[in-house]
Amino acid sequence: MNEILSAKDIGISFGSNEVLKSVNLALNHNEVLGIIGPNGAGKTVLLNILCGILTPTKGSVIFEGQDITHQKITERCRIGFGRTFQVPRPFEKMTVLENIMVGSVFGAGLTEKQAKKKAMEIASFIGLDHRLTWFAGKLGLLERKRLEIGRALSTDPKVLLLDEVGGGLTETEVGSIIDLVKKVKANGLSVIWIEHIIRTMLEGTDRILLLANGTDVICGLPQEVMQSKEVREVYMGNEDK
Amino acid sequence: MKFDGQTLAGNTGFKVGKKVLLVVVLLLLALLPMFPNSAYLVSTVTLIMIYMALGQMWNLLGGYAGLLSLGMQAFIGIGGYSLAVFSIDAGLNIFVAVFLGGVISVLFGLVVSPALFKMTGVYFAIGTWVVAEALMIFFSNWSVVDYAKGIMIRSVYFLTGEQIYYIAVLLGVISVLVVYLLMRSKTGLALMAIRDNPAAAESMGVKIFSTKLKCYMIACFFTGITGGVAYINLAYITPSASISTQWTIAMTFMVIIGGIGTMEGPIIGSIIYVALTQYLYNFPGISMTILGAIAVAAIMVVPNGIMGTIHNKTGFELLSPRRIMPPDWKKLLGVERAKEQVEAAGDKASKKE
Ligand SMILES: Nc1ncnc2c1ncn2[C@@H]1O[C@H](COP(=O)(O)OP(=O)(O)O)[C@@H](O)[C@H]1O
Ligand SMILES: [Mg+2]
Repeated sequence: MNEILSAKDIGISFGSNEVLKSVNLALNHNEVLGIIGPNGAGKTVLLNILCGILTPTKGSVIFEGQDITHQKITERCRIGFGRTFQVPRPFEKMTVLENIMVGSVFGAGLTEKQAKKKAMEIASFIGLDHRLTWFAGKLGLLERKRLEIGRALSTDPKVLLLDEVGGGLTETEVGSIIDLVKKVKANGLSVIWIEHIIRTMLEGTDRILLLANGTDVICGLPQEVMQSKEVREVYMGNEDK
Repeated sequence: MKFDGQTLAGNTGFKVGKKVLLVVVLLLLALLPMFPNSAYLVSTVTLIMIYMALGQMWNLLGGYAGLLSLGMQAFIGIGGYSLAVFSIDAGLNIFVAVFLGGVISVLFGLVVSPALFKMTGVYFAIGTWVVAEALMIFFSNWSVVDYAKGIMIRSVYFLTGEQIYYIAVLLGVISVLVVYLLMRSKTGLALMAIRDNPAAAESMGVKIFSTKLKCYMIACFFTGITGGVAYINLAYITPSASISTQWTIAMTFMVIIGGIGTMEGPIIGSIIYVALTQYLYNFPGISMTILGAIAVAAIMVVPNGIMGTIHNKTGFELLSPRRIMPPDWKKLLGVERAKEQVEAAGDKASKKE
């Protein structure tokens, strides 16, 4: 079996609000799986279920053949999950170096000395090595998004979960984020990438899944999915651009 | 924010100037009682040291671990009464009695924490306060501690003001040192992350519950010890005065005015608090009102406290928990990137001027 992570029949409700009815997805080893869907479709909720912030009302999450539906966040972080937040959540009063060190120490289990070296490598990788001694609170949006990815990588994950890391960026900046994700994939990681921007999905992913009405509507090659009638129906013709 | 070449080279830890300042302060503290006419100052600094220790522990909880406790006075009571009961009734050495107060505080903290840690935010704050009130009522009805009558702590009468001063200074210095070393340890890295964003910290592997519990235990221990030392100084204890919200008001005042989540905040805060309360003796009855008004005014002028504001403006930290770049950072980054880093830092610094 080539799946590293899968979700089977995931459902979740908040009170009477049934956000996810039944979602199935499978992420292959060293694959970038894009997830698209309208605002409020439950994409972030799905990501939170995968990384352990939320527990689903039904269904299960399988990682490397193990049922991890009820494993804690910190535990999942240790076995190989890294995630970014839609709105970046840097540790504002810590330096970029320290921000990344946190994951290397507590997620990857390195000593502080090793973590420092690792943090510098990661900073180079994400293109923030000229900001290492800056307080994260002083970074601009693109730099914050890069730091989000850097911190997710600092835990030495096998699966990287990205929540709209391209949102709010300029065209050129989006291009550099796509390159960054490609680099992550070249390093052997598997990625789930939620994004609105069509270009990132077409250029940066191997497959795309459309999440709408609480379920996985369609999943397939990027071009196919983008041109499918399902996508057109969901976005009601707004996707021609 | 200041990022000069030195910062980059990895010298933020302890620059020479800071070292000299610290040595001078410690020397002054050691020599103070030898100056002529220093008796009043000695007793004032004794109080400052005791309050500083309380402030450090409250800041560790409220400023770093996200545990806003309104019930730390419970441990002042436990510490004070341990001193009284163990040194008088059991005839133990007063220092052993004070130490036992710390140990019992930890045990008490362990007993109440499972229930308290189920609550967060305001509920945690109220929970801790209720526990303290309950303990106060229990002590008021307990024969072992002479009910609500209070105890004259005769076992400390032999100590001179100067000796008590040195005990308090030792306590104050240790409390700062403990928090400093904790912040420089792995736990400190976790605490700063929790302070800045708990959800992100947890998703990066930081175990929030156990980190908080560890801090709570440390704060219980040292607040208990400080209670003992406070009552070495006061020599008379009652349940209502020892387990009193008055202490909590002092702790929150000091930390918020001084700068919550900074190591220097409680130091500055304790000096201001003690100086103010000494002065406000002249205005009995309305002293608390004046204190409250000052707190509100200060929060409006410097919302991050004095140290927090200074830090935001200048990047200055006397006791820094900063992780510095490894010594071979230039080699690791490569010459070009290293140069950029210095230039970017220089940019920032020069824009400030
Ligand atoms: N913790 C929560 N409690 C209650 N409702 C939530 C929670 N998180 C998300 N929701 C609801 O779930 C729905 C989907 O949200 P979200 O996953 O953020 O959408 P998106 O696809 O835009 O990321 C929204 O209606 C939101 O109000
Ligand atoms: Mg979202």
